Amino acid sequence: MIKLQNINKVYRTKTVETLALNNINLTIPAGEFLSIMGPSGCGKSTLLNIMGLIDEPSEGSIEIAGQTLPDYNAKSIAKFRNEKLGFIFQSFHLINDLSIIDNVELPLLYRRVGSKERKALAEEALIKVGLKNRMQHFPGQLSGGQKQRVAIARAIVGQPDIILADEPTGNLDSSMGNEIMDILLRLNQEQGTTIVMVTHDESMARKTNRLIRLFDGNQVQ
Amino acid sequence: MLKNYFKIAIKVMMRKKFFSFISLFGISFTLMILMVVTAFLDIELGSHAPLTQQDKMVFLDRLELKLMIPDTNMIIDSTRNNGTVTVDTSFSYSERQRSMSASSAGYYYLNKYMSNIEAAEDHCIYSDRHTVDVFINSNKLTLSSSYVSASFWNIFDFQLVEGNFFGPSAIDHQEKVAVITQKTAKEYFGVDRGVIGQEMILDDQHIKVVGIVKTPPSNQLFLGSGLFLPLTNIDPRWLTSEDFLGGFRATYLAASSAKRQAIKDEIKKKTALIQLPNPEQYNRINVVTASFLENYAEHLLNENDPAKSRSIFLYSLGGLLLLFFILPTLNLVNINVSRILERSSEIGLRKAFGANGNDILYQFIFENIILTFVGGIIGFLLASLLFFVINSSQVLPETVLSFNYQVFFYSFLICLFFGILSGLIPAYKMSKIHIVNALKQNSNG
Ligand SMILES: Nc1ncnc2c1ncn2[C@@H]1O[C@H](COP(=O)(O)OP(=O)(O)OP(=O)(O)O)[C@@H](O)[C@H]1O
Ligand SMILES: [Mg+2]
Repeated sequence: MIKLQNINKVYRTKTVETLALNNINLTIPAGEFLSIMGPSGCGKSTLLNIMGLIDEPSEGSIEIAGQTLPDYNAKSIAKFRNEKLGFIFQSFHLINDLSIIDNVELPLLYRRVGSKERKALAEEALIKVGLKNRMQHFPGQLSGGQKQRVAIARAIVGQPDIILADEPTGNLDSSMGNEIMDILLRLNQEQGTTIVMVTHDESMARKTNRLIRLFDGNQVQ
Repeated sequence: MLKNYFKIAIKVMMRKKFFSFISLFGISFTLMILMVVTAFLDIELGSHAPLTQQDKMVFLDRLELKLMIPDTNMIIDSTRNNGTVTVDTSFSYSERQRSMSASSAGYYYLNKYMSNIEAAEDHCIYSDRHTVDVFINSNKLTLSSSYVSASFWNIFDFQLVEGNFFGPSAIDHQEKVAVITQKTAKEYFGVDRGVIGQEMILDDQHIKVVGIVKTPPSNQLFLGSGLFLPLTNIDPRWLTSEDFLGGFRATYLAASSAKRQAIKDEIKKKTALIQLPNPEQYNRINVVTASFLENYAEHLLNENDPAKSRSIFLYSLGGLLLLFFILPTLNLVNINVSRILERSSEIGLRKAFGANGNDILYQFIFENIILTFVGGIIGFLLASLLFFVINSSQVLPETVLSFNYQVFFYSFLICLFFGILSGLIPAYKMSKIHIVNALKQNSNG
């Protein structure tokens, strides 16, 4: 479960002050698949990053999985992210120098899992996204849809409670987008993983449990 | 974990071929040059035959004769004080050098005053190098020769190839014998062995070859001689002259390197006591003693002060090597910094998936260690290859470079130190990077 209370986010540069999020209150129960929509620049990514503890709000409190944050140090937040959260980005963010399986293993690396077990878990995750026969390839050898499936495998390999996806289908054509969406839906239904997804695509959003809309940093729906 | 870091280190290295090449080239080339320089220095200055005992040697290098005359100065100081002038006169008495001559010592001085240095275990006397022209089938060959006492062979451990050294009786009986180097044998006889008992004709004298020695690699001082003859075979005027100056050197052997100072002191003291025969010509005598290195530096730099030339020599050498080390090191630092900074999106990603600051720090330090190691290995191979080429080609025929593992080890440590240091600063910076900002930078996959 995620609970955001009175979240404000202000970006200050020398010339302008942007209120990216204005007094957001949001509760996401465990097991929900939530989508966030809104025009470009309205604060969707900012909100997702704050939920993912990779950005800090200017004001307000966050509660995730029963823990109120941020009230401990960077090291324990890193550990928390590692165990509870999984990220999927619009631009994939795979490490080109590592093979697919090494990319997928990454979260386990920081969990100090032994190499044999890492391999086994990564393989399992890749089977789930249908990329078993691509394990030794490198990101450069894959299509966009395949890359995003690798990114999903990486996000689920550590079996996190929550997956945060920022426009996971934004860079893909509709058929590949649907494939990705199917994987996420299955994950939500079969494993009960909480998913928060930012999207520009109404049809994708309609498949999720709930939709919220942002406009200029305010929640409007 | 480390295996994963290793994989990415190698991958990054392969991907950034150009930068890695420059970086590796810096490290390995520096190491290679350093190895070659130290190998050459070792040949010139190291304790090898015939200078295995150089740590215990004192070289009596030079004598200085001076004429000092009294010098009186009167200084008149006038001060104006409230209109009255005060005059203060002072005298200073000192000495002034009127003339000086300096050269290697005369046989008379060495034989009469310097043969009985009690602090020394042994000593030998040998002449400066003389050149002799010999003709073989009407081709002129110029040889460099030294006239040496029998103990010369005890102090300088020339390596016999065949035959023997000459002993005291050869000196006593002015035997017409010679020990020659392989180089001379080759030049004179056309072969570098198998000529024991054969004769050489030098200045109309028939000289029998009794020993052949390996040619010393260095060309400095007496080491450049190709022909060694009994001291008594020199033109007798050299030996009977009562001049203090001219033509000879002596080398003393101490029981240990610490005892060298006692020999130097004794030589100084005994020399100071000498009554000079013509005080109106020279009334002061000064002897200059030196270690092999000082002696070497003095001759190389054409200086007069052994200790000073040794410092100049060592400092300039050290300075050069340092300079040589600093340039690639700066290059390494620079490349490491940019190499790490451009990977911010990877770092953002790793942090998003749970890497903490230390994980990032260790990763980059590890990568730099790998890079330095690869550079070290290439440097080692390059140096070995170069050594092999130099040693097996006839470019430097007398030279056998030997690889100094200790120097390699220390230079490598220095590289490693800078490799780690240069990674530390950018890696630290990156370990503190804000994840969202890092991810926004040029995303790759
Ligand atoms: N680091 C930053 N410094 C200053 N302003 C920022 C920064 N990051 C975001 N902003 C501003 O905050 C607002 C919200 O940005 P955000 O990235 O959350 O929008 P978004 O809804 O994700 O847009 P898009 O759909 O284009 O991805 C924008 O006006 C943006 O310009
Ligand atoms: Mg966005």
